[in-house]
Order: sequence, then C-alpha cells, then structure tokens
Amino acid sequence: MKRRVNLTFPRTVVGVPITYRLARDFNVAANIIRAQVAPDQVGKMVLELQGDMDQIDSAIEWMRSLEITVSLQSKEIVIDEDACVDCGLCTGVCPTQSLSLNPHSFRLSFNRSTCSVCEQCIPACPVNAISVNL
Amino acid sequence: MEQSISAINAKIANRSVRVLTLLELQKRVAAVGLSQAAQEVDVVTTGTFAPLESVGVFINLGHTDPPIRLRSCWLDGVPAYSGMGAVDLFLGATQEAEPQEERPIGYGGAHVIAKLVAGETVPLRAIGMPNDCYPRATLETQINRDSINQFYLYAPRGLYQNFVVGVNSGEEIVYTYLGPLLPRMGNAVYANPGVIAPLWHSLEAIGIGTKIFLGGGIGFIAWEGTQHFPNQKQLPNHTPIGPAATLALIGDAKQMDKDWVKGCYFRNYGVSLMLGVGIPIPVVSSKTIETLALRDEEIMAPVIDFSIPRRVRPSFGLVSYAQLKSGKITINHTPVRTAPVVSISRAEQVASILKDWILKGEFTLTEPIAPIPPQRQFLHQDVLNV
Repeated sequence: MKRRVNLTFPRTVVGVPITYRLARDFNVAANIIRAQVAPDQVGKMVLELQGDMDQIDSAIEWMRSLEITVSLQSKEIVIDEDACVDCGLCTGVCPTQSLSLNPHSFRLSFNRSTCSVCEQCIPACPVNAISVNL
Repeated sequence: MEQSISAINAKIANRSVRVLTLLELQKRVAAVGLSQAAQEVDVVTTGTFAPLESVGVFINLGHTDPPIRLRSCWLDGVPAYSGMGAVDLFLGATQEAEPQEERPIGYGGAHVIAKLVAGETVPLRAIGMPNDCYPRATLETQINRDSINQFYLYAPRGLYQNFVVGVNSGEEIVYTYLGPLLPRMGNAVYANPGVIAPLWHSLEAIGIGTKIFLGGGIGFIAWEGTQHFPNQKQLPNHTPIGPAATLALIGDAKQMDKDWVKGCYFRNYGVSLMLGVGIPIPVVSSKTIETLALRDEEIMAPVIDFSIPRRVRPSFGLVSYAQLKSGKITINHTPVRTAPVVSISRAEQVASILKDWILKGEFTLTEPIAPIPPQRQFLHQDVLNV
C-alpha cells in the first residue's frame, strides 16, 4: 500500500538518515515528494511510503519515537471547477506535470497522486481557482 | 459555389441552414475533401476565450434628485472615468482598486464588470462638481445592471489576429500579461487558440457592423481595433506571422452571461478581462472555404523573449499552433513546455453556442457596412526631448 506522510523533524534528528533506515529496517520505500532540511534547523519532509501495511505502521511508530511529528493528513491542491476556465496556464508551471490539458478536449486534468504540492500553480492561476486544503 | 449573405439568412429563416463549427468543418474537409465540404456548409462558426486588456464598459447611471455632475467616481473601490456627460461613466477592465479601499490583491475593473454582468449589486461612491444645474456634491449608493440605463461593453482591441508566444531566457522569473514566464525557458505561453479563433480566416467576409457573439450576448464589430496592423508579414498562405489585424467590439452588457465575462489577475502584472468572442463566417465562395480549412500546422506565431523589457524583443523564430498545442516546442534544440493562457475548450464552446443560435434561427448574419482597413501605419511613440 501507499501512504503519504508529513514529517516535522526537531533540530536534533536532522542527522538521522531517515529514508535509508525506513528501507533497511522496515522494507518501506520512501519517495521524497518535498523536503526542506538544513543542518541545525527544524526540517520538513513529505514522503510517500510504499510497503506492507504493518511495516508502514511500525515505521511511523519508530519515527514518532524519535520525536518526529508524523502527520497523516497532508496538504492537497484543490481545483475549484466552477471558477476554473480551463485556460491551462497552470500546466506550464507545474514541475511534476500533474496539471495537464487533455490533448483532445483541452480541459484541465489534475493527477493528485503525482502532485508534490509545490503550490506554484496557486499564484499562476488568473482566476483564483487553485488553493491548498489542510 | 457563390451565395449571398441574404441567401444564407433566408436559409436561417426557414431552418435549412447548414452550420458547422470550425473544428467540425476541418474534420469534414479531412473526410471528404475541400470541394465536397464546401458544398455542405453555409456558415462556419469560430470562437475564442482569452484575457483582454483593452476593454471596458460604458454606464449611464440615471439622474439622482437633486442631480449630480460627476467629477470622480468609484465602483466597488475601482476608479471609473466620468469626464463626459453628467452621469456617464467608463469603467476600464485593467483599472485597479484604490489601495486604501482594502480590496483583495489584483481586484480591478474587470472584476466589477463581471459582478455587474452576473447581476450582483456593487457600491458606488462619487464626488460632484456642484453648479446651478447639478447642485449635489457627493453620492453614495449601490447599483446593479437593472438600476442603470445603459450598460454596454466596448473593447477598443477586442480581438487580435494571431499573437506572440512568450518565453524568458533570463535567470529570474518574469511576470507578464501572459502570466509568469519561468527562467531559463521554463515555459512558453501562447494566447491564441489557433484556427478556431475568429480572425485567421477571410477578413473580407466580415467588417464594421458584423454581428457577433460577445460575452454570451450579441455584439457587433465597431471599428478597426487599436494597434491594428494588417501589414504584418505573411506566410505564403496569407496568414500573418505575428500580431496583425485587430477589431474593436461593442455589445449590450445587460444581455451578457457571467460564464463568458470573467475578471482575472496576472500576479505582479495586473488585471484583465476574460471574454468569450465568436464570429460566424458566411461561406459565400469557395475561397472562403480555403481559408477556413487552414490547419494548426499551417499557422505560426513568433517566440518572443520577455527577459528584455524593450519595445523590440528578441525572437527565437516561428512555431506552429499545432506544435504549441502539442504541449512542447523546441527552441535552440531544447524542448520547452508550452501552456496556453487562452481557454481552447471554451473557445470551442463559443463556436458551438453560436452554431446553435444560428440553427435555431435566433441569430442571423449581417452584411458589413464598411470594410476593416487593409492598410494601416504602425507608429511607435519615440520620446522627444523637450
């Protein structure tokens, strides 16, 4: 199964090689969606964990034991379909190409599973149709 | 095949008219060939839904008691021009709200216009020039489209034949009327929906007085547009290789529909109005069909580098609209992602709605009463030392 998690690291834990330990100790593949980590600072990371359900649960328990805050409710990009006019401007600034125009209908389509929630599309939208939920 | 516009109108009246949207015509040409398709159609509809800057609305408020002669006026915090008549106003789309009005960032005339079109009520504040005829000094009230006399849209440049593609070769993001252009050619933005747009085809078939779809209601071609540049260089197929002819458009905003009149804002650039525009092209001769059969592969736009903020910006050459719509173009051997700022799906919807109006007999065609000037000087404003 796959599960997306938001991690907040206290300064002291930034030195732990989290993704390596997840793979070695729990057989969990951790795809880094987004990360902001610097020495001696609070770090933030969004991971997509893939593996056995029990092992993902154990991995989350282990991370919590390190005083990493693990939030399962992650931010998501939301498109207001009433406001969107399918202009497509957002598709040019989306680094993961999660926002794209259907090649036939030229309607906007959004692939939530590949979105890294970088939020570049939000200010690019001329009609304020894109936001992030929490 | 030759036929007059009045002959087409007779077919509209007795419901025998044959109408195709431009995309439907192209499919038909691909299936049965040009000459057969030409035998099967009387009218071809085009459309676009793009952000416009050169557009606004004229409003006549009606007289208050005691009456006022306006000096300054604000509609929902956005200044409106009132230097004409006692209670006539012009609200421009790109006018931004006064900073002290505490409106959201990027709120401007286009948003007020869209609210009025949607039937919403907006606050009006005005200062008068009291005199014997018009003693009132100030006015605070609320208006909506039903409480004002005239409410009509005028776009000095409501349609552009072709346009540019924006890129940015610099190291920093550039904020433009095409939206954000990412550094190091991170994206390329185009603003014309390609062949489905109105002006790629026979400019001879339309002119001043031509009835059109405007903002979900009925409008007319009023004049040549500002920055009209019919002398733009052309490809052998007679389509321009960059921004060319423009049209001024006029229409009753009271009849317009909120789906086709939307305020928009380009961050760190400014406010624009997204407007649906559609023109029916009467198939009066086989030459008309030839221009309507042009494909996106055969029309081109110049790729312009916006990293240099000068009047003349460097060009990376021409790309076709087929390439632009594929999502990727190649500049200097490097692939660059493309994105439209014009809604291609809505452009097609405009053409479909216009087609339905004609099929139902609700919309007839008009003979132009004067041609769009085929020649026009394009002057630059060179600053004089005084």
